[in-house]
Amino acid sequence: MSGRYDIRLFKPEEIYFSRGKGGVLQGVVDGKPYEELVIFRTFPFRYASEYISVRTTGGEELGIIRDIAELSAECAAELDKELQFRYFLPKVHRVASVKFKSDLWIWELETHLGETRLTMRNLHEHLQFPGGNRIVLTDMHGKRCEITDWHILDAHSRRQLEDVL
Amino acid sequence: MSIMDQLPEQLRKQMTGELLLSVKTDLLPDGRFGEQWLAVTDRDIRIWQKDGSPAMKFAVSELKAARAVGAVGGGTLLVDTLDCPVVIARYTAAMTPVFNFAAKLISALAKSEELPVLSERDIPKQCPTCGNPLHEGTNVCQLCMNSGKAAARMLRYAKPYKGQLAVAACMLILTTLVELVPPYLTKVIIDDVLQARNLGSTLLFLILGLGVTTLMLSAMQTVRGYIGVWVGSKLMGDLRKDIYGSLMRLSISFFDRRQTSQFIGRVNSDSEAMRQFMTDGVVFVCGESLRIVAIFVIMLSLDWKLSLFALLPVPVMIAVSMTIWPKIGRRWYQQWRSIFRLNTLVGDSLQGIRVVKAFGREREEMTRYANANVEVVRNNIRMEGLWQFMFPAFNFIAGIGTLLIWFNGGNKVLHEDMQLGVLMALVAYLGMLFGPLQWVSQMINWASNAMAAAHRVFEIMDTPSEVPEANRPVPLGTIQGMVRFDKVTYGYEKHHPVLKEIDLQVKQGEMIGLVGHSGAGKSTFINLICRFYDTDEGDIYIDGISIRQISQSDLRKQIGVVLQETFLFDGSIADNIAYSKPDASPEEIMRAAKIANAHEFIVRLPDGYDTRVGERGHKLSGGEKQRVAIARAIIHDPRILILDEATASVDTETEQQIQEAISRLIQGRTTFAIAHRLSTLRNADRLVVLDHGKIVEVGTHEELLGKEKGFYRKLVDAQKELSQIKGVEG
Repeated sequence: MSGRYDIRLFKPEEIYFSRGKGGVLQGVVDGKPYEELVIFRTFPFRYASEYISVRTTGGEELGIIRDIAELSAECAAELDKELQFRYFLPKVHRVASVKFKSDLWIWELETHLGETRLTMRNLHEHLQFPGGNRIVLTDMHGKRCEITDWHILDAHSRRQLEDVL
Repeated sequence: MSIMDQLPEQLRKQMTGELLLSVKTDLLPDGRFGEQWLAVTDRDIRIWQKDGSPAMKFAVSELKAARAVGAVGGGTLLVDTLDCPVVIARYTAAMTPVFNFAAKLISALAKSEELPVLSERDIPKQCPTCGNPLHEGTNVCQLCMNSGKAAARMLRYAKPYKGQLAVAACMLILTTLVELVPPYLTKVIIDDVLQARNLGSTLLFLILGLGVTTLMLSAMQTVRGYIGVWVGSKLMGDLRKDIYGSLMRLSISFFDRRQTSQFIGRVNSDSEAMRQFMTDGVVFVCGESLRIVAIFVIMLSLDWKLSLFALLPVPVMIAVSMTIWPKIGRRWYQQWRSIFRLNTLVGDSLQGIRVVKAFGREREEMTRYANANVEVVRNNIRMEGLWQFMFPAFNFIAGIGTLLIWFNGGNKVLHEDMQLGVLMALVAYLGMLFGPLQWVSQMINWASNAMAAAHRVFEIMDTPSEVPEANRPVPLGTIQGMVRFDKVTYGYEKHHPVLKEIDLQVKQGEMIGLVGHSGAGKSTFINLICRFYDTDEGDIYIDGISIRQISQSDLRKQIGVVLQETFLFDGSIADNIAYSKPDASPEEIMRAAKIANAHEFIVRLPDGYDTRVGERGHKLSGGEKQRVAIARAIIHDPRILILDEATASVDTETEQQIQEAISRLIQGRTTFAIAHRLSTLRNADRLVVLDHGKIVEVGTHEELLGKEKGFYRKLVDAQKELSQIKGVEG
C-alpha cells in the first residue's frame, strides 16, 4: 500500500527552490519545473522549519521536507523567506504596553517586522501557550504575533506581561 | 466606483482612465509592516510606495488573472501576467476581504467580464476617530464609547426596584444613626452616673435606653437585610435571564468557536458576582460612608484636637488601597482564567469520557487536570495572599491611630483635662471608624470581581449576531417552497471557502439529494438554507425573497430538519414531538407519530407518550429517536425539509421503516437530503453532486448513472464495491 498513502519525504537533492521574476516561489521537483509552489508548515507551532509540505497551486502534495536545514543554503533561505510570508507571525522584541480600555485589550508591540498594535476582546480566547515560554497572540481580525520566550524579553516588557499571564 | 482609501491627490493625477479601486496595504513587499498604495483603473493597475514613488505598473492587457492567496495571518495578491505570476501586494488578515475583492476585480478586468460590486462586507470597518478596527455588525467604536461603562450599565438593572431600594436606604440611614447611640450612652453612664456616684434611677433609665436602641437596631437590620436579599435575588434573576437571552440570540458560528461548558459558569457565577456588588456592595458603600461622616462629626464635637489624631492614618490607608486596586483587578482576571481553564478541561474530558476510558487515558487526564489545578492553586495563593497582607496592614495602621488617642487622651484624663467617659467614647467611635475603612479593601475586592464579571457578561450581550435580523423583514406567510442559490460562496473561515459560487434553482415540492465526498460542502449547503450562517457572497432566495430579508422566526417556521444526531430534550416523548408546536393536541401528536412510524413502538412503551426521554434521550434506540425526530418535523409542517443523514446510524430494517416515514413526510415539500447510502436517494427528483465546494453534476439517479465517467457513477461504483466486501465478510 505504499505510494498513494505514503508520506513522501524528499531527499535534499530531489528538490530545488528559487524565486521567480514576479516574486513567486518556484522550484524543480524530481526534475520537473514548477512555476509556482506553495509550502505549508505541518506543525506550525512545534516545528517551524521542519516537516514542510510542498504543494502545487492545485493543492496536490508533492512531498515533505524533513528539515529545511538539510537543503542547500540558497534553497533554505528562499524557503525561510516564503514561510515568513505565508505564516505572518512577527516576533515580538518588546512589549511597549498592554492596556485595558473600554472593554478592549490593546497591545502595543515592537516586532522584528516593525511596530504594530493588536486589539483583543479578552485574553482567554486570544492567547495561546504552545509550550515553553512561548506565547502566540491573535487579535480580533486574525492578525498574529509571537513571543518566542517571554522570559528573555527586557524588564519593561516582562512587567507588562506579568500582570496578564 | 468603489474607493476604499482616498488616494492622495498627487497619485490621482498620474492616473488615466476610470478609477475603480484604490486601497492602502498594511505590509511592504518584504513582509515588514508598512504601507503601499494600490490603484486599479479600467486600463491599468499601479502600485506606489508610501512616499508616492511608483513601484509597479501593469496594463490590463498584460494580465490573465489575479488571485488573492490567503495564508496564515495575512495574504498575498498575485497577478498572472502573460509571462509569469507576480506578487503585487502583501497584507495582514484584517485586509483579506478587500484584497479578495481586488483580485476578483482585476480578474474580471483582465477577462473582460462583468465587474464585481464591492459589498459592505468587503470593507474592514474602522473607527473614524481612532482608527481601531470595529467589530463586525456594529458601528460603535468600543474605544471611543464612554456610555459602555460597566458600572453604570450594571446599576441600570437596579432601576425597577427603586422603591424597595429607597426603603432599604432609609433603613440604612436610620440604623447607622442608631448604631452611634450606644457609645454615647456609655459615656453618659461613666461620666454622669458611675463617676458622679449618682445613686438615683438614672442608671436604670440609661440601661433601658441602651436596651431599646439595641432592640431597634436588630429589628431594622433584619428588615433591611430582608429587602436586600429580595432585591438581590430579583436582580440576579433578571441578569441571568438577559445573559441566557443573549446566548440564545447569538449565531451558531459563535458557538462553533467556543466550548459550551464555559457558559454554564458564566451565566451563574458572573451574575452572582454582579449581584453581590449591586446589593451588598452599593448598600455597604453608602452605609459605611454615611457612618464615617457621622462618626467624624460626633468625635469632633467631643474633642476635636484628639480626633485629629484619628485622621492621621486615613491618607495612608487610602493610598495603600489605591496602589493595590489595579493589581487586584488583573489578578482576579488571572485567577478567573485559570479556573476557567480548569472548568473547560473538566467539561472536555467528561464529555469525552467514553474516549478517555476506551483508550485508557484516565491517568493522563488526571495529570492534565493536576497541572491546571496547580495553576489555580498558585493564582489562588497569590490572590488570597494579597488579602492576608492587606488585613494585618490595615489593622496595624488603624492601631497606630488608636494608640495615639490612648496616649494623648490618657494623659489628658490623668491631668483631669478630660473625663474618662469621653475617652472611652472616643476609643469606641474610633474602633467603629476603622471598621469600615478596613472594609474598603473588601469593597475593592467585590467591586473588581464584579467589574470583571460585568465585562465578560456585557461582552456576550454586546457580541452582535453574525446573522443579523433584517431591519424591515418581508412578511412571508405560507410559502411555496421555491429555493434559489445565486452565486453563493461561503467559508467558515473567510479566506477558505467551503462552497464556491453555487447556482441552483429548486422548484417547489422538489426533492434534492446532495451527494459528494465528506468535506465536499453538503452540510454547509444545508446550514446556509437554515441561515445558521450568512453567505459570504451571493444570496439565497426563498420564493424570490432573499433569506436575509426574512425574519428568522418566519424562516425557521418554514424549515424543518431531521439530523443525523437526534437531540431529544429532557421531557416526555409528547413534549419532544410537539417541540415546535407546544399547543398541539394529543390527536395531532399521535397522527404525526403514526406518519413517522413511531406510534407503534411508543404505545408499547409502559409510559406511552409520557415516557420521559432523559438527557440526550438515552432510553430510546437510535432508530426510535430518529422516528421521534421525524414526527417532530411532521408536526412542524414545514414547507422546506432538510434531512441530514437521517438514516445513517440505524440497521437496514429500521432504515426501511424510517425510509417509509420519510417518503410520507416529504410529500409536497421541498426537500434537501444528504445520505451516506446513495441508494436512499434514489427517489430524489434531482441529485446535486458536490465536489470541493462546487456543483459538478446535476441530474436524476438514472441520468447520472448513465454518464460513463461521471462523478456520481464513480461514487456509486465505489460504494457497491464496499458493500460487496461487507457482504463477503458478513
